[in-house]
Amino acid sequence: MDPELVDEFVRGYLKKKGFNSSAKAFEEDLHHNNGSSFSSIDYHNDPELTKLIRSFSQSKDDPTQYRECYSKLRSWAYNSLDLYKHELLRVMYPVFIHCYMDLVGKGHTQEARAFFNSFRKDHEMIHLRDLQKLEGVLAPSHLEEMEFACSLRQSKVNIKICQYSYDLLLQYLHRTESTLMLGIINEHINFQVYSGQPNSASDDIEAVTIVGSFQDKANHINQKEIQWGLLEDSLEDRLEKTGLLSDSEKGQGESKDGDMDDSKKRASEIGKQGSSLKKLKKDKAGNATAKVVRQETSTVSPAPRVKSELALPVMSTEVEQSILEDLRNRVQLSSVAMPSVSFYTFVNTHNGLNCASISHDGSLVASGFSDSSIKVWDMAKIGQAGSCALQGENDTNDQIVGTNGRRSYTLLLGHSGPVYSATFSPPGDFLLSSSADTTIRLWSTKLNANLVCYKGHNYPVWDVQFSPFGHYFASCSHDRTARIWSMDRIQPLRIMAGHLSDVDCVQWHPNCNYIATGSSDKTVRLWDVQTGECVRIFIGHRSMVLSLAMSPDGRYMASGDEDGTIMMWDLSTARCITPLMGHNSCVWSLAYSGEGSLLASGSADCTVKLWDVTSSTKLTKAEEKNGNSNRLRSLRTFPTKSTPVHALRFSRRNLLFAAGALSKPAS
Amino acid sequence: MSIVPKETIEVIAQSIGITNLLPEAALMLAPDVEYRVREIMQEAIKCMRHSKRTTLTAADVDGALNLRNVEPIYGFASGGPFRFRKAIGHRDLFYTDDREVEFKDVIEAPLPKAPLDTEIVCHWLAIEGVQPAIPENAPLEVIRAPAENKIHEQKDGPLIDVRLPVKHVLSRELQLYFQKIAELTMSKSNPALFKEALVSLASDSGLHPLVPYFTNFIADEVSRGLNDFQLLFNLMHIVRSLLQNPHIHIEPYLHQLMPSVVTCLVSRKLGNRFADNHWELRDFTATLVALICKRYGNVYITLQSRLTKTLVNALLDPKKALTQHYGAIQGLAALGHNVVRLLILSNLEPYLRLLEPELDAEKQKNQMKNYEAWRVYGALLHAAGLCIHDRLKIFPPLPSPSPNFLHKGKGKIINTEPHKRKLSIDSSENRSPQKRLITTDGPDGLQSQEHTSPAPMQVDDTMGNDNLPQNSVQPSSSEQASDANESKSRNVKAIEGGKGRAITMKAILGQIWKDDLDSGRLLVKLHELYGERILPFIPSTEMSIFL
Repeated sequence: MDPELVDEFVRGYLKKKGFNSSAKAFEEDLHHNNGSSFSSIDYHNDPELTKLIRSFSQSKDDPTQYRECYSKLRSWAYNSLDLYKHELLRVMYPVFIHCYMDLVGKGHTQEARAFFNSFRKDHEMIHLRDLQKLEGVLAPSHLEEMEFACSLRQSKVNIKICQYSYDLLLQYLHRTESTLMLGIINEHINFQVYSGQPNSASDDIEAVTIVGSFQDKANHINQKEIQWGLLEDSLEDRLEKTGLLSDSEKGQGESKDGDMDDSKKRASEIGKQGSSLKKLKKDKAGNATAKVVRQETSTVSPAPRVKSELALPVMSTEVEQSILEDLRNRVQLSSVAMPSVSFYTFVNTHNGLNCASISHDGSLVASGFSDSSIKVWDMAKIGQAGSCALQGENDTNDQIVGTNGRRSYTLLLGHSGPVYSATFSPPGDFLLSSSADTTIRLWSTKLNANLVCYKGHNYPVWDVQFSPFGHYFASCSHDRTARIWSMDRIQPLRIMAGHLSDVDCVQWHPNCNYIATGSSDKTVRLWDVQTGECVRIFIGHRSMVLSLAMSPDGRYMASGDEDGTIMMWDLSTARCITPLMGHNSCVWSLAYSGEGSLLASGSADCTVKLWDVTSSTKLTKAEEKNGNSNRLRSLRTFPTKSTPVHALRFSRRNLLFAAGALSKPAS
Repeated sequence: MSIVPKETIEVIAQSIGITNLLPEAALMLAPDVEYRVREIMQEAIKCMRHSKRTTLTAADVDGALNLRNVEPIYGFASGGPFRFRKAIGHRDLFYTDDREVEFKDVIEAPLPKAPLDTEIVCHWLAIEGVQPAIPENAPLEVIRAPAENKIHEQKDGPLIDVRLPVKHVLSRELQLYFQKIAELTMSKSNPALFKEALVSLASDSGLHPLVPYFTNFIADEVSRGLNDFQLLFNLMHIVRSLLQNPHIHIEPYLHQLMPSVVTCLVSRKLGNRFADNHWELRDFTATLVALICKRYGNVYITLQSRLTKTLVNALLDPKKALTQHYGAIQGLAALGHNVVRLLILSNLEPYLRLLEPELDAEKQKNQMKNYEAWRVYGALLHAAGLCIHDRLKIFPPLPSPSPNFLHKGKGKIINTEPHKRKLSIDSSENRSPQKRLITTDGPDGLQSQEHTSPAPMQVDDTMGNDNLPQNSVQPSSSEQASDANESKSRNVKAIEGGKGRAITMKAILGQIWKDDLDSGRLLVKLHELYGERILPFIPSTEMSIFL
């Protein structure tokens, strides 16, 4: 290699890197010992080094290089061996977005756009929403401003790849001397190389979402122990006991303790639990032939019991009695015994209905409107007890005619922005509402008046939920936090921060120790209420999470997203048991039946669907063997008449209530 | 680069009073504008989702602007989603339909009805997993396209906004016009004025609002006035005028109109007096039907097939009256030669056998019946004759390209009189193979020889057959005759050249052989059935083939 050429390269490199002073020094140096360079002996003969030098001195700013290198890598990946192809293709997406962001960052907007458009087709299927977000990034300043881009830039993507694929990739990169690609891959991808055969293409949910630095953190967080068991001494427990012994007080403490120890052991060894449960069931079925109640409850999987970490409110005996009565009369649902569905249709909402909520007994229906009003209907008063709705309809006619000129609902005014959510306390005496005016208001359904206004969020409050025992409630907001409140304090008790985008929905765990939040960053998180820490991150959704539901045994969680996908999660392992596909539009609402055997989902596609979740949870072990055979477990689909389903609620007796606003067909 | 072109930025800058915006600045601003718009949309979509909607409204965008601490855009009432219109000629250009409203109209308009208050209605979506078939539920087993919900208004009165049937407002002038036309049609007293009215109907613009009334009127009157010949004729004239009017879009009303028209074609009895020339009405209606089929047949593919089905059914039903048969034949004949060939000629033989006893004056004593039978016979002959005429006209030009090609040297002569030239060449060419055919095909050949003999009597026959519409045939046949005279003189020359070409022509002729054969057979068959009466329809050049 010609020494002068080398000098030229060195000069170019120094200039490009902005070492102006050293470039000058270098120049002077050259002038001094013009031609008689002694240092050039060794590297002139080393071809590797010259190549390296050449590649460095080539202006890295050249935007066409990105396209060239990327398309080369792409065609190589597509032509690679079938067995390793999907692993190699997985690498393409991070390389693609980082190439694009590099181009944008260097100010080559035009080339960036061209580059993006020519290759976006490859990734649209899986990453459509991310691409749509990134598409708007056109200036270096946008990169800094947009959190999504920021998190992508700052973190590395984890990609699991088998040894051979990894070798193939490195070989290719070295052979073709594409230092540019190598740089990007080194900078932004963290390979987790494992030995053996590559994984099958289908089972890598994690590859689907690139959520910044999450993956590590999520894995770390998901190691934490959670106690998903139900509360000890819950009403269901008591029901069981009253069924067994007429005087439930006697010897309660002892048996409870023993029970608890036992359950804790079980909780710690979850893996074994499935089998032990089965045994237990068998035993029970064998023993309890004569005891009807016992037999019934034995079909409900006996979840371990945990202590509450919150000071729970004391329930009045009347309420307790009524709940016990309800539980005794509960209809057992399964894939063969379907529930009845009572549907509340809002008419004349003029496109203003933002949310609807049904009280636990189905007698009260609250709706929040975009004109800041809240309207509460007392269905019992109207003459339509949920149990005799058909008969009741005739009554309503009379009622409406009779009360002509008077409103059939209670109007609650107080908010100064669209009301996005409303929730009834379990006994139905309080109503909470959240609004775009950043406040949460507490209303009394007895007084029909506003009692408290909770201020704390800085942005619209998307969702608010009462805890299963009342008194406490959780809210979530556009300010990316979820907060825990109690009714008697106007300051939040806990602030849960960590989501990367809006927190869109919130749901309490049945034992009150945890809350789950769904977010626009496409993740669901589980938070410990006592410590305010994030204890689980569920990654897998491909779009904004809109609804959440917890199974009554506290073991599973369902989440529905914007695309109509519902995912069933195992809380302890943070893994998706199975995605439930079927809806083709937003899933606004989810609800588990009283004993947890059915899941109901209401969607913007004007249907209520029932899913058999017992089979889906049972088949988890067999899932590895027959991957897709158990994916679809939709039991029934109930289409409504152009009414998107906004809210669902299983009453304690397992009657399903649904509510939605009649929308006029698009003409 | 950015989807916002820099021209847009410049226009916006001008609209807010910045005139000295540098082009570079616009270029820099464009990507940022795009980014900001996307950002606002992202937030607006969040607001939309939380309002549990799937369509974006102006309120959502305002909400998003609020989130970003930007002043919302005022002046967009949030009454549901916006209606956008597509700009014609542009793919992705939409605009909102912004009508100008007169202040006076707004002030004088009556107060709008107060919007109905929100209500809640309860029903069973499912009972123990089964959806009851009540009107509140979507129809079972149907993947429901959001349909209009009509239950609630039955049940609870006008709970939801009901879309009332649209009132069709007719101007006073149009009402008068319609009344006048209707009177004229019914009275039949003033034929001159009625003619004027027809011209007006056929040419005036702005009559479209009346079309449904006219179709109704026609349908009503036809069903009521089958005995009134003049009325029916007038009505059919109105139909024709409406069809002729270029400003009228009659397609949506065709289904109402067609039954009346077909009635006038194939009804058993049209008019009650003997003097009524219902044949004429049927002929006229047949042309109407053909006109409709020709114009709308390609839009409504089933139109013609349904029509022909009706007509063929009428024709092949021996119980139907002869008048009906006549109408059906005329209708089919008007639809074109292919229809005739496929539907009439295939049924011709058995039909004629059926008709024969009626034709014989000895057997059929009823003079009226006999006359009708002859009428039908004439119509059949006419249809078949026109068909064969057309058919024979098709095949001579087929081999024309090759003589053209071979005659390049004599190009000038061909160019001056290409058609006649072609004809003559073809006829000379065709003669030899046709003869060969005659010799090889035993029975066919014999028959064709048979029927070539009465050719000289052609002229007398045409005169004798009074049923034939002479006017239509005469010009063509005379033309053919002159053609033939010319061709004879040319034939002499052509044959010389023809000898050399004969070998090459053979291949081409082989291709059209089958066609010729078919036509020949058809001709033979027709001749069998009709005797000499068919001959006037056969062009004389073709006739010369068989000489």
